[in-house]
Amino acid sequence: MFLQQLLNGITLGSTYALIALGYTMVYGIVQLINFAHGEIYMFGAAVGLFLVTVAGFSLVPALLGAMTFCMLLGVLVEKIAYRPLRGKSSRLSALISAIGVSIFLSTFMLLIAGPNTRRYPEVVNPTTYHIGSLQLSSMQIIILLVAALLMIGLNLMIQKTRLGMAMRATSEDLEAAYLMGIDVDRIISLTFAIGSALAGAGGVMVGIYYNAVFPYMGTMVGLKAFSAAVLGGIGSVPGAMLGGITLGILEIMGVAYISSSFKDAIAFGILIIVLLIRPQGLLGKKISKKV
Amino acid sequence: MQTKKSAKWAIIMIMVMLVSLVAGCSNKPTSTNTPDVIKLGFLGAKTGSVANYGLPAEKGMKMAIEELNAKGGILGKNLVGIYEDNKGESADIANIATKYITVDKVVAMVGDPCTGLTKVAAEIAQKNQVVIFSGGATGTGVVEIGDYVFRNTLLDSMAVPSVVDWMINTKGWKKIAIITSLNNGYSTALTPVFKDAIQKKGGTIALEDSINDKDTDFTAQVTKLKNAQADVLVFTGYYQEAALIMNEAKKQNLNISMIGGDGLYGQDLAKLGGTAVEEKVIFYCGFSTDKPTPETAKFIDAYKAKFGENPDMFSAQYYDAVMILAKAMTDAKSADPKLFRAELAKLKDYPGVSGSTTFGANREPIKSPVCLLTVKNGAFSLVDKISVK
Repeated sequence: MFLQQLLNGITLGSTYALIALGYTMVYGIVQLINFAHGEIYMFGAAVGLFLVTVAGFSLVPALLGAMTFCMLLGVLVEKIAYRPLRGKSSRLSALISAIGVSIFLSTFMLLIAGPNTRRYPEVVNPTTYHIGSLQLSSMQIIILLVAALLMIGLNLMIQKTRLGMAMRATSEDLEAAYLMGIDVDRIISLTFAIGSALAGAGGVMVGIYYNAVFPYMGTMVGLKAFSAAVLGGIGSVPGAMLGGITLGILEIMGVAYISSSFKDAIAFGILIIVLLIRPQGLLGKKISKKV
Repeated sequence: MQTKKSAKWAIIMIMVMLVSLVAGCSNKPTSTNTPDVIKLGFLGAKTGSVANYGLPAEKGMKMAIEELNAKGGILGKNLVGIYEDNKGESADIANIATKYITVDKVVAMVGDPCTGLTKVAAEIAQKNQVVIFSGGATGTGVVEIGDYVFRNTLLDSMAVPSVVDWMINTKGWKKIAIITSLNNGYSTALTPVFKDAIQKKGGTIALEDSINDKDTDFTAQVTKLKNAQADVLVFTGYYQEAALIMNEAKKQNLNISMIGGDGLYGQDLAKLGGTAVEEKVIFYCGFSTDKPTPETAKFIDAYKAKFGENPDMFSAQYYDAVMILAKAMTDAKSADPKLFRAELAKLKDYPGVSGSTTFGANREPIKSPVCLLTVKNGAFSLVDKISVK
């Protein structure tokens, strides 16, 4: 039972990790907590559902379609709501703008799709595999695989490509990167695009896995993924992955061995303790104040 | 420059607010003096997570009002229903109840389908001496709020012992797991009723667990449930979470039946649950379209002709609630809540479309029989009818 619960936790955690990546990448580069990120994830689930039910797509094209849509949406949100404020007003204004976008996106979905919960039709053959006493459903395998592939791909991109190098440079020092001839605006757009595409993928998979898509599904998950990013060390890409999976496991173990009533309390309690001991998060770098 | 501009805006905003306030006030007097109609306020959600209860309820209420008006109304006056959407939210129902009473001047409110929400509206109704008549609140502590509070529904405290008896003695399900939704007042009130009945009827509780409404991840609970090896699962919450729990059980290859109250009575149970709930989820309620009495058959036919779908428990109970209110007003020869509420309390053996209703000494309804329903081919179908002991 412990191993089974661990597996449940890792599955839940890897969806948090996918969303946490978007928070951490954006924060790493523009020091903005993009509160609209949870809604991008919700749009991913909704667009995926639309593609599957109305357009009759199968899983992979629907996943790619939702990721592309979210990518465009993320870039658009950045262009409309954050870029005009950058450099001209305080970071707080951008944060308020992010909250505004979050409310706008969820109520917009409420308006066009209604408040009811919808389910995905069966896009994946529901087979279960047994490894000893352990049970793995086909959807769990898909979530773990897709999440792992996306995260490995992201790491490779950041570490090995020129664009990744430009991203790292921008995140280290935006102005210096600009002076070195990096098109900073383009890098920021790219960051939003990648983060949003990952959230879109998370949305589709969670929608299929839990069979529940509704306009406010992004709010709580967004908060949790944000916490996961902080737990891992905000700004750190491997940190977001570790933070997401840790939070997922904590939550499931809390339900399994203590009580469902304290599910969130346990997860967030541990988060607070970790941050008290390591304020920079699990994998965060200690930043010495530049004076 | 910047500050001047914002000051200007602030002044404009304040003026707009003042104007709308004045407009709001001037609207009031016109809507108060309409003595030639009798107004009833509908309480229920038309959107949101409990809309599955409110939508059929609204149809039942509309149909009853139309039928009464076709026969000349009550006391020579036409009935008018007002239908606001409370979205299943406590804050909304409080606002709507206040609006019905102070702006629309209703004589009675019909609803809400949910216990927790009914209590919120009942406090307001009692304070303002307006009758509230719920067609769905099954939990405890509703009529205790005051003598203007009524309900017409099968009470959990009466139905559950019969249902548990059926589970243990007819089905042989003795090891029982029970899951409560902690942020759902209906669920937290129903769980002790089940636990009490299980103990009295000689069953054992194999696992007690909990979830929260609007959760979507139930992997941990279902894994625990699987390890507990219970014969049956009692879930005291609502249909949406019930469907998602059963989906998860199917995913984990757990073959178990789920028993619940009429909180599971929503079309989305079948829509969200798909094959995972087929003949697996069984819940009790006071109404079924199978094997109807003559009154019920007539109601079902008229409802089908009007709305093109089968009525459910909420449409039947709201229909009955309006009819019972009309009867009380006719008997009292008055539409004054202070006068007709006394007639209402005397109701005995009323042959409604949702079964017979009698109000006991404490105004609690006594209804029989209990219907056990399940989902078959995507529609609700009767499993068994058991009489309340």
